[in-house]
Amino acid sequence: MSNIYLPHIVKIEDIYRETPDVRSFRLVFQDKKVRESFEFRTGQFGLYSAFGYGESTFCISSPSTRKGYIQCTFRATGRVTNALAQLNVGDTIGFRGPYGNWFPVDEWKGKNIVFIAGGIGLPPVRSVIWTCLDRREDYRDITIVYGARTVEDLVYKNELEHWDERDDVYLVQTVDPGGENADWKGRVGFVPTVLEETAPKPENTVCVVCGPPIMIKFTLQALENLGFSDEDVYTTLENKMKCGVGKCGRCNVGDVYICKEGPVYTAREVKRMYNDF
Amino acid sequence: MDKRLLKRERLDRLIDGVTRGGGLFVAPRLDARRVVYGPVTAADEMEFDYIVPGNSFKEFFFPRTEPVARFSFHKQGTELEEVRPEPVETVIFGSRPCDAASCASLRSVFTWDFVDEYYTEREDAAVVMTVACTQGDESCFCTTVGVAPDGRDGSDILLRETEGGDFTAEAVTEKGASFMERYKDAFEATVEGREKEVFQPEILDGVDLERIAQWLKDKEHYSSPLWPEVARKCIGCGACTFSCPTCHCFDLVDEGTFFEGERRKNWDSCQFDYFTLHASGHNPRDTQYKRWRNRFMCKFHIYPGKFSTKGCVGCGRCIRVCPVRLDITEVMEEISKVP
Repeated sequence: MSNIYLPHIVKIEDIYRETPDVRSFRLVFQDKKVRESFEFRTGQFGLYSAFGYGESTFCISSPSTRKGYIQCTFRATGRVTNALAQLNVGDTIGFRGPYGNWFPVDEWKGKNIVFIAGGIGLPPVRSVIWTCLDRREDYRDITIVYGARTVEDLVYKNELEHWDERDDVYLVQTVDPGGENADWKGRVGFVPTVLEETAPKPENTVCVVCGPPIMIKFTLQALENLGFSDEDVYTTLENKMKCGVGKCGRCNVGDVYICKEGPVYTAREVKRMYNDF
Repeated sequence: MDKRLLKRERLDRLIDGVTRGGGLFVAPRLDARRVVYGPVTAADEMEFDYIVPGNSFKEFFFPRTEPVARFSFHKQGTELEEVRPEPVETVIFGSRPCDAASCASLRSVFTWDFVDEYYTEREDAAVVMTVACTQGDESCFCTTVGVAPDGRDGSDILLRETEGGDFTAEAVTEKGASFMERYKDAFEATVEGREKEVFQPEILDGVDLERIAQWLKDKEHYSSPLWPEVARKCIGCGACTFSCPTCHCFDLVDEGTFFEGERRKNWDSCQFDYFTLHASGHNPRDTQYKRWRNRFMCKFHIYPGKFSTKGCVGCGRCIRVCPVRLDITEVMEEISKVP
């Protein structure tokens, strides 16, 4: 007997305050058996419960190469995320998952990878970045283009610093015009523009894109201008979800259920979808 | 198994047998002067003169609200307890063939890949005793969507009314046969009395299901100006979805106090504006016609295409309950006409 709606209890082992309203939780399964057997693939998501408030859907932002814990990152925006944001280390929440498909990182061996993220779109990409960095020898050049509205809105600041220092990663950081401050050393400009200036070569290269819908739209256009083919561009979509398992009827884009057939799609697949975003 | 006779005066025997064992006997009965499927404990609570009950019987497999978990908070953390469905033998007596046909549809959604046992365990414990239709109204359109008024799909036992008010009974499934065997004192071996004539709703000539499916399959048509036009009068009340036997959408909601609570699975409706609303404020279906389009798409493209089941069984409830008379068959005709 299995109850598809019953979450696991997970304990908040650590909390990282990414921005004033964005938190990351490092979570550990309370049940030893689950803790030891839990596996996921990079790109998959879960439903996180603040008991008494409900469930919310976020990707697993930790890499699939690291076992024993998962991490999630969320912005306090709605009822559940605001309730989660008030919790402390040691508190318990619920987790169901992993659900959905994943980024085919094994197929990318021997290729260059360009990661492009905007704002709170970095968490799902972070999972893929670290999954690839943990097996660095499998891939060639790794480029990360990340932007946010303001310097304050950049998430994972420590890790950005770390990636910036690494010789085997090329990091380009940018903030929207007006979002810079006196200490800002990165670029100023929107992600698609900065991406075009960075001009990654499409040969033997795959791209991973995530961010707000408007950023994704213009980034896909920029990639097309740079000569990338739609099959080499991957993105992860999100929609409101309640069940995560293809029953509750919310996340479909036309006839495609994001929770089951997604959330990871190539740009080609996205272009074939119904206009239901 | 041969046809048997279920006399009306023997119904109490059947009801007693089922309910005495802790089972649920659901049949058409009056509720607020309307015939609905509801639990009965005696035959005199039942109604026999009805076309289609106001509700579909999905609520006995997929309740309007049900707990899936209970939680409580302690110093040591959160205690979480699963709430299992507790299915009892459920007889759905007097189902109509359209409603019976919808079981396969709901099952297909609740079992693709992940299995929702809250649904399957209840449906597995149910015996659907369908009575072939001997009357209908202008809203009935089962024949247009490929369901027959004396169809067997989804039924365990098919009954036909006789002129004298009794029923001939024919087992359709193994489950139905063993049910008739178990309650054999209710069924008589000698069949007598003439069966009433089956009412055949007129097939709507203007509807071409194949054409509708093809038209919906082309994603360009999703942006057709036809959608805002046909759905303009929809007020988004959701009555069609709640009365629909194949609508499956639900919400998972926490209810409780600071100390304890329940997680419940509640009916929801794709016609409500908050249904797909993101916390960010973005809403992919931000206007009513997009929500109405989604429902139509679900019935005539997603169900048949993805789940290979019927999205619409032609019961006509959505037409009867619609406060603005938005008739789905008119839209079906409209789309069938598109050159």
